[in-house]
Formats: sequence, C-alpha cells, structure tokens
Amino acid sequence: MSTTQRILPKGVAEADFDAALSLFRDTIGSESVLTESEQLAPYTKFMMAGEDADYIPSAALLPNNAEQVQELVRICNEYKVPIWTISTGKNLGYGSAAPGETGQVILDLHRMNRIINVDPEVCTALIEPGVTYQQLYDYIQEKGYKLWLDPPAPSAIAGPVGNTLDRGVGYTPYGEHFMFQCGMEVVLANGEMIRTGMGGIENSSSWQVFKWGYGPYIDGLFTQSNYGVVTKMGLWLMPEPPAYRPFLIQYQDPEDIAEIVDVLRPLRISQIIPNAVVIVHTLWDAGTHVVRKTYYDGKDSIPREAIERIKQDEGIGEWNVYAALYGTPEQIEINWKIVEQAFGASGKAKIMYGEEAEQRGGGFEYRAALMKGDMNLQEFGLYNWRGGGGSMWFAPVSQAKGSETKDQTELAQQILGKYGFDYVAEYIVGWRDMHHVIDLLYNREDPEETQRAHDCFAELIDEFAKRGYGLYRTNTEFMEQVAGTFGEPLRNVHTALKNALDPNGILSPGKSGIRQ
Amino acid sequence: MKLTRRALLKNSFLLGATAPLSLGSALASNPASAPQQGPITLYGSDKSTTELGLGLRQQGLLPRYEGHFNPLALSALPSGTLAAGFTDESGIVLLTSLLAGRGRILALGRHEADRHQLLSHRGPIIDLMTVETGSWQASLGREYGRLVSTPGRGRHAKELPRAATAANIRELSFLVQL
Repeated sequence: MSTTQRILPKGVAEADFDAALSLFRDTIGSESVLTESEQLAPYTKFMMAGEDADYIPSAALLPNNAEQVQELVRICNEYKVPIWTISTGKNLGYGSAAPGETGQVILDLHRMNRIINVDPEVCTALIEPGVTYQQLYDYIQEKGYKLWLDPPAPSAIAGPVGNTLDRGVGYTPYGEHFMFQCGMEVVLANGEMIRTGMGGIENSSSWQVFKWGYGPYIDGLFTQSNYGVVTKMGLWLMPEPPAYRPFLIQYQDPEDIAEIVDVLRPLRISQIIPNAVVIVHTLWDAGTHVVRKTYYDGKDSIPREAIERIKQDEGIGEWNVYAALYGTPEQIEINWKIVEQAFGASGKAKIMYGEEAEQRGGGFEYRAALMKGDMNLQEFGLYNWRGGGGSMWFAPVSQAKGSETKDQTELAQQILGKYGFDYVAEYIVGWRDMHHVIDLLYNREDPEETQRAHDCFAELIDEFAKRGYGLYRTNTEFMEQVAGTFGEPLRNVHTALKNALDPNGILSPGKSGIRQ
Repeated sequence: MKLTRRALLKNSFLLGATAPLSLGSALASNPASAPQQGPITLYGSDKSTTELGLGLRQQGLLPRYEGHFNPLALSALPSGTLAAGFTDESGIVLLTSLLAGRGRILALGRHEADRHQLLSHRGPIIDLMTVETGSWQASLGREYGRLVSTPGRGRHAKELPRAATAANIRELSFLVQL
C-alpha cells in the first residue's frame, strides 16, 4: 500500500495552500514548516482505534514565540487553513500528536519552551507550552528551590501546559491540575493576544497568584477547547513538605473496592490524605512490568484463574491503594494512626509503608516517586502488556462513594469481556469525585481487533452515559460521541462561543466535538 | 518460509521474478556496490541488533552500537544523526512521539512470528533478492541502509511472510534521523 498523493486541508485549494505555506515560511523560516512525509510521520502515530487515513496532517508549523503564533493564525484566517494545536504532543492514548482530522496543519508549540519565571516565595511558575515536566524539574533542582511538581504518569516528556489544558491529573496534593493553574496568555483566532486574570493589568505582580481577575472568569474556556492558542500559563507549585510517607494498602477480594472508597472519602475530604489516591487493579499494577502472554495467550479476556496466579506470583492485591501523607513528622505520625485505624477496622486490608511496601510486588517504587512529583516512565510498560500499539483511555467520573464502584466495575468488565479485552484499570479518588480510568489495550496492527476495540469503546461510552457516568476526557476519535452524551443545550453554547471567537473555524476544528 | 508467486503478487513484491524466495533473499542486495554513507547509531542488545548492523554495514553505513534503546537519549544526539535498532512496544511509542518536530521516521518494522510488516516513508521497499543467504535481520539492515540514501518519498507499507521461528517473539525495528 502506497500513499504519495498530497494531503490538503479540507476545503482549501492547492494554490491557496501553497500561498499559505509560502507565508508560513516567511514568518517562521523554511526549516520550521514541515511538509515531507518522513517529517510528518511522527504526527501520524497514534494509539486509538481510528483509521490511519483519517489523521494525516498536511503540514506542521513550529513557531518559536507568541508573536509568530499571532502571525500564523492571521495567515490561517486569510486562507481558511485549519490548524490543530499541540504543546509537547504527548497526549498518548488521547490522540498523541496527530491532528483531529486529515488535512489539518499541526501547530506544534514544543519549541516555545521558555521557563519565564519561577517564584520560590509564592511558589508559582510562568511557562510556555513546550516546557516539559522534566525541564521544569531540572530547572527547579538547579536553582535549589524546595518546590515540587505534579507530573502525570508519562511525566518526563509531557508538559504542564498541555496536560492542564486537557484537564489532566497527577498524584500529589496538587493533582487536579486545572485547580492549580493561574493566569494565561492566549492568542485568539483573529490574531489578537489576551492575558487572563490579573494579566491584563500592565506590570501586575499578581498574575500568577490571583486567578479571578475582574469580570467573568474565562480561563476554563481555553481548556479542552478550540477557542484560542494558549502561549503562556501560570501554575502553582507545591512547597516541599518537611516529611513525606507514601504507603500501600492491599485488598485481595474484588468486592473490596466499595469498602476502600468509603473509607477513603472522609480522609480525602478532610485532607488527612491530601493527594489524589489511586486504587489500582491487579492487571494495571502487574501490566507495568509483566507481559500478558506469560500468564495467558488467548484472544479473549484474561480469565480469573490467571489473575489469581499473577496476584500470587507478583505479590500484589486485587486492589492496590497508593496514597501518601505530607507535613511535619509529627503531623504524619498523627495522621498515620488515623489511616491505620480507618483501614484496619474491617481486618481486610494489609497496610504497609517503607521497606515492607517496597518489597511487595507492583508499582510502589514508581508510585511513591510520582506522589512526590518525581519523574519516571514506568507506566509505559503497559504498552507491552498486550502489544500491538493500541491504547485508549476510558475515564468516566463519579462520586467518590463505594456504591458507585460495584456497578461500574462489573459493567466495564462485562463490556470489555464481550469484546475480548482485559480490565486494566484504576480508580483515582479526588477530593469528592472519582475517575475510573481504564486503559483499553489492544493490538492495533490487527484490523479485526482494532475494529473490536473501536466498537467496545463506543459501547462503553454509551452504556456508562445511560447510567449517568460521563467521561472527563477522551481521544480524538470519540470526541464527537462523548460531546453528544452531555446534551444539545451545552453543545449549542459551545458552538455559539466558537462562532463568536473563531468565525472561520480555523482553530482545532472538532476538538471536544466543537465546530462551527 | 517460501513465498509463492501469488503471495508475492499480493504483496506487490514481484518484479519479474519466478522463483520462490525467502525474506532473507528478498531484502538482500549486492554489498560490493554499497556506497560509503557514514555513521549510524544502533540500538538493541541481542543477536537481531548485531545482524541488523551487519546489513547496514554491507550498505556502507558505519554502525555504532549503543546497547539497550533509551528513547530519551535521542535528544542528546546532534541533528542529522541516523539511528536504527530494535525495541519493544513502549520504546516505539516513546520514539515516534519524541520525533514529532524533531526528526524523521524513515522506516518502521514490526516482525511478528509469522510475518514482517514494513512501513517506509522513503518510497517503496523495492530492493529485490538475488541472494538466499543470511538472516532476515541482516537483510532488513541492507534494506534500511538502502533507504538511507534513497531519494524516494511517500508512505509505503508492505507485509511479508516470515519463516517459521521457534522463538515466537515480536520484534520492532526502526530507522530514524534526528
């Protein structure tokens, strides 16, 4: 199979596209306008169950600064060229660096990677979209600041701006990333630049400390959206606590999930346990370092018998709770007693920290690192579990109540089982909410299996929505479907905003199901 | 495993040949005519990598063995550096992701127990076979070596049967340029 024909943006004549490319080159230099197949190839690699042919960019633009972004957007408006914005392009399992649809021009902001300011007194940072967690971490270490980051699992290579704008989560007490965002600089579709919050005040010193500014608060409009291109973002950093105690609690019975969540909820709401707690199922905990076919090579879901063998061999539980305490040593000792008492009441939990936890199987070491903001790439091991490069994150949100877990877990396992996939999942317990994160892993090189994965994901969306569970985030293949589950009135508002802010529809058409 | 004429035709792989051919021969070329092409960084830590390096060398490239593939190390390499090798699923995910805006994917290979799936962004995989010797990894190295110097463009995918192997191990190969 060969593909050599030229890809053009939808509705743009070849001559117009050539004219736009010429202006792009004048603006950012020829070396920053990519059009060759082998240069664009990395932007065509994704893990979701979509057709390769549906996600091929016509070009990629790599600006160095916000002024160049303004000029590029003006050119796109003139020629009606649609652009798809990425920051570091590491939204793996959600569409990666690929465009939302074939023909869109990738606006790749990874070269805009300046750390503009880190203030160790008020614990804030102002950064550009191309800054990675590793880069910011290294900067903080080099400066000797006692500040922590809150990286997601693919931490080192992803960036705070992109993750926050997609409303991603991490594992420290600052785990709800958008909650700890403060101030943006945004290039609008007409090329104008705005600063949100206090940023509109010239020489303001409070842009990164006071979120709300004056008048309507609009930062949220630029998350999971296509209303502007964020070129700078402020975020709050966690001061390094005097002491830190990561711990592991294992439960062995599938039914125990309800108890775990009910015990956790009051501890989370009262901030005894202040971080985003993960409750990891056996297959996720093992999947980061174990290959599936070691235990089962069938095409159907891995059977219970194999799961029990994994638990036995790896020393992991059916549910593995990773959480941490932060504060002074005295605070930690007091809170540890509360945790032990709460989880120890039923006699089902095995509660561990320190060497005992380290010696257990599973992911304690890398989870302990993530919960203190350290970088690692251990979770990439999940891609070796089944192999074939297919991965889609299905993540419905619910209340943090035990009663919400049993039906969800059973429903997910039933639908995944119907299509022959494994329940590789974890619950992340936020302050009051809970994300049920399932990695639908499949062999993307097998067209039949890919189609099954597609159908499975679509059914998961619909069936969970019927029961009141909506997704907090999804991949580009399913953005339209997920947007539909939130109802037409909301979609109409999104469309009205799109028409007002981007009348030519040039910014990331289709993002979160939003178009003109 | 032998390829039948029908299989070859199905894979757009037959250009006048009539004899059944193995992949080893399918990707072979004449080493004597190989031009000197310069260094290439080679990743992997087993026999497959050694054989891949042999094939690259036969095409005039000078492999420098770096051992186990760490995609994050790529960022330290100078622009223009060629790299090839074998890695696992997570390595390929990281590699292709890290190359966005930073480099070129010239070719990728997925080598299953029963088939090879090759993807080139440098024109068709056309180097046809006259020799029935050597391993498939060395043949792959020769083909990757040829792609390094080819002026071809466009995305081309090809699937080939793989000789039965007792190992039954999936291997993933890559050829990239920073």
